[in-house]
Amino acid sequence: MSERLLDILTSSFPKLLLACIKVTIPLTAIVFALSLILGFLLALVQILDIKVLKQLARVYIWIFRGTPLLVQLYIVFFGLPSIGITLDAFPAAIIAFSLNSAAYNAETIRSAIMSVPAGQLEAGYMVGLGYGQIMRRIVLPQAARVAFPTLSNSVISLTKDTSLVASITVVELFKTAQQIAAVYFEPFALYCEAALIYLLLNTLLTFLQSYLEKRLVWKYSAEKKRRKKKGALA
Amino acid sequence: MLEVKNLHKSFGENEVLKGIDFSVKKGEVVAILGSSGSGKTTLLRCISFLERADSGTISLDGFEKDMTELTRREVRMLRMKMGFVFQEYNLFRNKTAFQNVTEGLRIAQKIPADKARETAVNVLKKVGMLERADYYPDELSGGQKQRVAIARAIALSPKVILFDEPTSALDPELTGEVLEVMKMLASEGTTMAVVTHEMGFARDVASRVVFMDGGKITDNRAPAEFFSSPESDAARRFLRRMTSDRGI
Ligand SMILES: Nc1ncnc2c1ncn2[C@@H]1O[C@H](COP(=O)(O)OP(=O)(O)O)[C@@H](O)[C@H]1O
Ligand SMILES: [Mg+2]
Repeated sequence: MSERLLDILTSSFPKLLLACIKVTIPLTAIVFALSLILGFLLALVQILDIKVLKQLARVYIWIFRGTPLLVQLYIVFFGLPSIGITLDAFPAAIIAFSLNSAAYNAETIRSAIMSVPAGQLEAGYMVGLGYGQIMRRIVLPQAARVAFPTLSNSVISLTKDTSLVASITVVELFKTAQQIAAVYFEPFALYCEAALIYLLLNTLLTFLQSYLEKRLVWKYSAEKKRRKKKGALA
Repeated sequence: MLEVKNLHKSFGENEVLKGIDFSVKKGEVVAILGSSGSGKTTLLRCISFLERADSGTISLDGFEKDMTELTRREVRMLRMKMGFVFQEYNLFRNKTAFQNVTEGLRIAQKIPADKARETAVNVLKKVGMLERADYYPDELSGGQKQRVAIARAIALSPKVILFDEPTSALDPELTGEVLEVMKMLASEGTTMAVVTHEMGFARDVASRVVFMDGGKITDNRAPAEFFSSPESDAARRFLRRMTSDRGI
């Protein structure tokens, strides 16, 4: 490797990393939080079988899963101004991504809730709990455990998909790489470097996922805890 | 204590309960027998409002009303007076044995933590599951799960406990431990209605046998009489099949 190339890579690495920390990660985090909330609501109106809202949720999911994310992004950023709604690139990105991601999360959450056997609800009723209490204390915790791996997956996809916002002028990790590549005419090296940073980020996320899966007692086993403190009700 | 009258229930075209009159008196153990599909589960589920009856009245512990006109609040009030033990246990998977027992005490009956703990310890001890108090259902055998489920039911001091084939999902060698617990409850005067295929339990423990056939109750009498001279042909055939199958 030439000395010049090495120089370019080492001097650009902090810039790419900074763009990742300042734009890519916050964008991912905000979008994930919003899409989780919206996805949960979309799942809930279906589970609760709320008339009109349920149909609206189905239509929503149909549209946002059935059209490309990049096209949705263009509609929000380049399209909306023509009907008088002009958004900055970053908010536009958040809106388009959240709306899109929520459609997928809604399906994940809905099927996770439906995977909890009806017997859990019935047993809850028979110990005197109400529907809301059973949902909060019995059904949703179990559904969360089912949904967790899929939702983790969707965060990982999201980090990569955020590179699409480079096309609407948001200067995130990938856009930064494009700019530096254009200056030095070294696209191969720069794009590989950008890829490496995405890979690093997702490696961290994968570790975080398995750590959380182990930590949150989600195996429904108290084996470890018992070994630590002997005696049931001490 | 518990009484339902003229209970009807259909699933679509299929009329499953055709006017059931059924009662359990205080301290009674009623065994409900009948072939598969005769409507036993549906009867218990209608009584506990897990299915909506098409018509019928219920009276429980001094409260009486048309089953189709109950408010949500009344349903909840009536359920608080019943326990239900499911064939498939239905323990809360995300809660330990101990938490399964305290859930209804703490959340539905709003009993303070220390009192709930005391009750939980007592009932778990009673079913022989105290050492397993902080095991999750996934870590227990079928027999152990069912004993915890029984503890969960009795912890709430219901007026009557409904059992739907509590030993049918168990390996044969595990039915004994559950039947022992039920016998103990019976001997303490617990009011119970038990759907079962355990003829020994019906004969030795029950105070009365109710036999169902095709959505109707065709026999309703003391176990000794039922087993020696069943009233309906259906019951006679059922008993003949049972004794030849199981060598009783
Ligand atoms: N949820 C349901 N939907 C439709 N049919 C049902 C349902 N539950 C029970 N049935 C029907 O009702 C009849 C009685 O069932 P069940 O009460 O489970 O009988 P048992 O417990 O005596 O075996 C059966 O023919 C069964 O197919
Ligand atoms: Mg049944």
